Amino acid sequence: MSGNGNEKEQITLTIDGQELTVDKGTNVLEAAAQIGIEIPYFCWHPKLDSVGACRMCLVDVEKIPKPAVSCATEVMPGMVVKTATDEIIKARRGVLEFILLNHPLDCPTCDKGGECDLQDNVFNFGIDKSRQTFTRKRVIDTQTKTTFDDKRIGPEVWRNMNRCVTCFKCTRFNKEIAGEWDLGAFQRGSSTVIDAPPGEQIDNLYSGNVVEICPVGALTNNDWRYKIRNWKATKADSICSHDADGQNITLWYDHRQLFRATSRPNDAIDDGWICNIARYGYQYINSPDRLTKPLIKKGGTQVEATWPEAIELIAKKFSKIKGDKGSVCIAGLLGGNQSNETAYLFNQLFRSVLHSNSVDYRLEYTGLTDGEHSEAYNCLYDAPFQISSLETADCVLIYGSNLIKDHPAVNLRLRKAYRKNDAKVYTANPVETKSGDISTDELIYNPDCGTAFLVALTHALIDGKLYKNIDEAKAAEIKSLLEPSNLNEAATRCGIEVDRINYLASDLAGAKNLFILGGDYLRASSDRSRQANALYNLANLLDIPDSNSAILASQANSKGARFLGLSPQLPAKLAKTLADKWGTTLPESTGCNTSEILKGALEEEIDAVFVMGANPGMRYPDGPFVDAALDKLDFLVVADLFETATSLKADVVLPLAGWSEADGSYVNLSGMYQKFSRALKPKAGIKAGTEILQLLMTAIDPQLKFDLSSLSQNTRDVIDSWAIPQRDKEKFFPVKQAHIVDHEAFPYRLLIGNDLHHYGYLTEHCPSLMKFASEPYVELSTQLAEKLGIDDGDLLRIESTSGKLVLKSKISEFFEGDVIFIPNNFSAVDVNCLVSKETGGWVKIEKLDDK
Amino acid sequence: MILTTTTIDKIKTRMARYPSHRSAILPALTEAYRQVGNLNPAIYKEIAKIIRVPYVEVAEAASFYTMFPKNETGRYLLQVCHNISCSLRGADNMLLYIQEKLGIKLGETTKDNLFTLISVECLGGCSAAPMLQIDDTYYENLTREKIDSLIADLRTNAAHKNQEAPSTATPDSDSTDSKDDV
Amino acid sequence: MEQVLFKYIDDPEQHKIERYIENGGYQALAKVFKDYKPNEVIDLVKSSGLRGRGGAGFPAGLKWSFVPKNSPKPKYLCCNADESEPGTCKDRVLMERDPHMMLEGIIICCYAINAHHAFVYIRGEFVFPAKRVEEAVEAAYAKGYLGKNIMGSGFDLDIIVHTGGGAYICGEETALLSSLEGDRGLSRIRPPFPAISGLYDSPTVINNVETLASLPSIFNNGVDWYRSHGTEKSPGTKVFSLSGNVKKPGNYEIELGTPLSYVINDLGGGMEDEQYKLKAIIPGGSSTPLLMPDQIDTPLDYESIAEAGSMLGSGAIIVIDERACMVWVAMKLINFYQHESCGKCTPCREGTAWLKQIINRIERGEGQNGDIDLIIDVCGNIMGRTICPLGDAAVMPTESIIKHFRHEFEYHIEHKKCQVKTDYPF
Repeated sequence: MSGNGNEKEQITLTIDGQELTVDKGTNVLEAAAQIGIEIPYFCWHPKLDSVGACRMCLVDVEKIPKPAVSCATEVMPGMVVKTATDEIIKARRGVLEFILLNHPLDCPTCDKGGECDLQDNVFNFGIDKSRQTFTRKRVIDTQTKTTFDDKRIGPEVWRNMNRCVTCFKCTRFNKEIAGEWDLGAFQRGSSTVIDAPPGEQIDNLYSGNVVEICPVGALTNNDWRYKIRNWKATKADSICSHDADGQNITLWYDHRQLFRATSRPNDAIDDGWICNIARYGYQYINSPDRLTKPLIKKGGTQVEATWPEAIELIAKKFSKIKGDKGSVCIAGLLGGNQSNETAYLFNQLFRSVLHSNSVDYRLEYTGLTDGEHSEAYNCLYDAPFQISSLETADCVLIYGSNLIKDHPAVNLRLRKAYRKNDAKVYTANPVETKSGDISTDELIYNPDCGTAFLVALTHALIDGKLYKNIDEAKAAEIKSLLEPSNLNEAATRCGIEVDRINYLASDLAGAKNLFILGGDYLRASSDRSRQANALYNLANLLDIPDSNSAILASQANSKGARFLGLSPQLPAKLAKTLADKWGTTLPESTGCNTSEILKGALEEEIDAVFVMGANPGMRYPDGPFVDAALDKLDFLVVADLFETATSLKADVVLPLAGWSEADGSYVNLSGMYQKFSRALKPKAGIKAGTEILQLLMTAIDPQLKFDLSSLSQNTRDVIDSWAIPQRDKEKFFPVKQAHIVDHEAFPYRLLIGNDLHHYGYLTEHCPSLMKFASEPYVELSTQLAEKLGIDDGDLLRIESTSGKLVLKSKISEFFEGDVIFIPNNFSAVDVNCLVSKETGGWVKIEKLDDK
Repeated sequence: MILTTTTIDKIKTRMARYPSHRSAILPALTEAYRQVGNLNPAIYKEIAKIIRVPYVEVAEAASFYTMFPKNETGRYLLQVCHNISCSLRGADNMLLYIQEKLGIKLGETTKDNLFTLISVECLGGCSAAPMLQIDDTYYENLTREKIDSLIADLRTNAAHKNQEAPSTATPDSDSTDSKDDV
Repeated sequence: MEQVLFKYIDDPEQHKIERYIENGGYQALAKVFKDYKPNEVIDLVKSSGLRGRGGAGFPAGLKWSFVPKNSPKPKYLCCNADESEPGTCKDRVLMERDPHMMLEGIIICCYAINAHHAFVYIRGEFVFPAKRVEEAVEAAYAKGYLGKNIMGSGFDLDIIVHTGGGAYICGEETALLSSLEGDRGLSRIRPPFPAISGLYDSPTVINNVETLASLPSIFNNGVDWYRSHGTEKSPGTKVFSLSGNVKKPGNYEIELGTPLSYVINDLGGGMEDEQYKLKAIIPGGSSTPLLMPDQIDTPLDYESIAEAGSMLGSGAIIVIDERACMVWVAMKLINFYQHESCGKCTPCREGTAWLKQIINRIERGEGQNGDIDLIIDVCGNIMGRTICPLGDAAVMPTESIIKHFRHEFEYHIEHKKCQVKTDYPF
């Protein structure tokens, strides 16, 4: 794992008469499993520290007088283990009898039935009758004789204490792995109770895992509860369709609907833990609000139409615009969670069939308000960072990322590095984040002054001669590329003390396996190219390998879309590969990126836009500008699952299948290509993206020959051909802190992004996720709330030069200072009306008198 | 805020002594209990803030340790040892006697809110059984007469205290804490 | 009989540092700093044969020698003053009346294992003993026996007095560490043993109050003197807590190897009420098996008591006369262990709760045929299967009571009532 090639020491031992050799550090339970000997257990889990609590895994070890817990007994040379002596069998039966004392044996109505460790262990190792003659109920309080009943301890978690085997896996996961503090074990002895702390509930982002690792039905999901016996469900291997981590999941479904998603452990990515968005984020597929019929705008209103009508109209209209005004007047925008296969065909539609280079996938809130990405940005974005490698880090700088919201799997890996490898963690963000609790120092830079922070850090490295592989002259030269031009000034500008920056610099320079990762705040910043340049310089100064310095991608398949060439400029090699695949020549005209397409629409240079699986009307910053642009279009086609702010403006709306309704693949933020299988077929009237694109292309060009059977392979070929750029170790870019827009009278900096339990615009169709956050809000710091006399839940008017909104307040302990946050996951509120290029996201706040 | 600045200062002083501030959870609960007389979630939250640990950890610890009442009790919590050494010296009958005398059952509080009676496990007063604890004080080698005068004294004491200032301070005892001769 | 630990126990001023010094206090420490290197201290304690007084009787010097010398981590000493084993009340007296003797022992031990932080974990109910120890610690700082460069030796030590919250399990060494770290007092699996990875994952020694308080006299008088007390394998003196149905319950210091009858009859003045005969003796705290009246002359040392089928434990002798129903005794004990189980491991958590249900049912007169064998079998499923000794502690007296008084259980089940109605007067 650590990649330094150290062979692990080998240990030879005997288990049940069989000799075997295993890695040093293996426990007896795992060693036995390697030769097919099953030792039963409840409390052991390969990713948690052993606690030896359940006593189910007792074995006989020669020279140890008492039965030993195999989960916590490390193998030793020459050890002789017996797993099934009479004494051990009696001990196991004893433990099972104890565990069953209060167990209700309500297996027929228990959701865990069929996948329950207790059922399995009793079946394999237990006895078939009980000597227990008391009521099977756990008593909380012997004086009041109160017993436990089902209790909902979180939006999605139910607890049945009578079924609990007290293995503490849930609380251990919560604290050890997730670093969350909303679940505990209370009381003691046989009254021990698993619960959220008094007055709270378990609602952390990873809380679904406690249900999944519960060996019995003590913790069950509201989502799955009483809906279907698990053995009646069909399973499909899938990938989370939201963030870019690529968490592996299994979808459970029958002929009617999807029922649940569970983890499909992949140590390279998720280590077997999935976030609630991966777990419950499938539910939008089941939504009754799905579009099921094409719509065509007639006389200003959208009316239902048939597929042939819709396809014919689009083909005719596109062909006409192409003929009348030229290909450059047609553009395509593709959502970042569309599969590679869809992206491949979308690209083919535009570049090969319509002959337009104006395609883009970068149209989330992290869009291109600042022109095309810089060389440094693209290089860091493509960097071959592997999530699993993060656990070997000894020092990490997370720059400009609210990691838990942005990359749930990377966040857990960072915590693992901290826990298992004593990694020093530094975070630098415009606001406090959840990673603060494991940070050596949590650096908060002034709004829009991230660049100044990175400049300050660069100065500190150079001033302290902490750089590697360059000489002093070169260092001086690099210094001259920076503005502010010295450490003090840059530090003042970003608002972080010089000492802290120096301390950070020396820790970074002293690290043996350093990672520097950038994320959402960087991607969303209009200043992102400069920040990328600065990160590139830092990576070179500190001589970090390419795989350890990266800007993390944002959506489930943004990286796939990039590798498939879904942006206006194509590297020559990719252009050739695509042209060969399609048997055509590619257009030579200059293509437009997202912001240029919208600008083109506003200026009537672009007439038709096809938006597939995306909602720029809601998500793209600079709301007034997007609205005006889309309104100006002559012809707008939107393919999506739901009616959206964008689809409402469309001339043709096509009901699009969700990711689980077709086979496909995604490329995650590491560049890892992952296939997923179709679960339930889409309902009649809904078509997969690939089918829509095929219909459209053949409608426009009837000569076009398709071989869908090779689509997957073709897509894969193109992705594999992507040449990952190497960082030029000699190269340093100029970095200059941008001027901050004048925002007099608008004192507060607005940040827009995902709510903890939402991602993009689809998750508001997931009932489980809506239980965690169901409406938009404005999050502000305790200090700011105090200053303005605001209480939690007060109605506030948030106003910028471009718009105003009324939202409920949510006071956050995480925040400090004058930064506020509004999620953009809820269609009820047009958050982007507050943001325009001119205002830069500065707002004022007014408390409304009446609620 | 429930905890007074005096209590908070005590907690902070104690916290400063430990290599890890988490270790101050139990001392903090103890200080809070001394001030308030019982513990509740609002107190756990305050403690969590003071010693910078998660609220749940404080709540979990508090729930584990049975010395701290989690509900309001009377001014005097009579904790009678019912374990073996005391029982061999008549603790069971002593419990009955106190119940009869105060007119309450085990676990109940007198109407005047002065006495709450509970039985507890061994308090380490085995050689001076039977015994009971009130606040910080052990009352040992008890007899009916000693129980009578103890309860009378406490009633007087409470009446007296009420006239002065409301206080939850425990009776001072410099010489010995074991009241053999009440 | 020579009093060592209790030499000045009746001196009302002994708890004050001036009097302690006047009576020869802190001279052992001076000697240690002057004449012994840390490993020589360990060797001397090893050769003294001092065994842990908390219950297990593990040789103290040997325990100390497990602390790794070259570990870069800090080392800790925890003085276990969570005296909670029913019947035991000796540490309380030592802390109340002669706290400096314990402190001096702590400093000697810390010097030996190179610890610069020591904790005294005192059970929460012991408010007054804790106050006395706190005062003693303050006085010791003021006189330079604690803090930086103690007595010019260059050795630094801080002592922190930590009070518990009412949990017997915290007297178990790993649970004590969990509790001290701010957790619920859950016991932990061994290995790793505390000497390797204990408090804050660092090497830690945990010793009972009495063990540590025994150190100054050993260094003052030498190994030969110490070994001249007690027996070959159980040298020295020990304080026994005598409780139950005797005339004069109390704490008595005797040489190990002294007959049990001497404590009960000579020191304790015999049975509380002569008309009621001795029925059984719990010799080493409530978790140890019974000794019967015919074993009253068993010498009180680790080996002899073990030979007689019980354990010396914490040295709490509980004398039971014939007025007690042994089902009632078993009930009192199992109720206690069930209440105190930390709940971490299955056999202890569930097993003690089940035993409590069964034994209480018998005591109530609702016992069922087969209950006695069920108890014995459940005991067998707890014994030796738990993380810490609490499971065993619950089982040993239960099994022993049934072994010796099975007929009382049978009577109870058959006649739905006690053979002897327990009714100790008050």
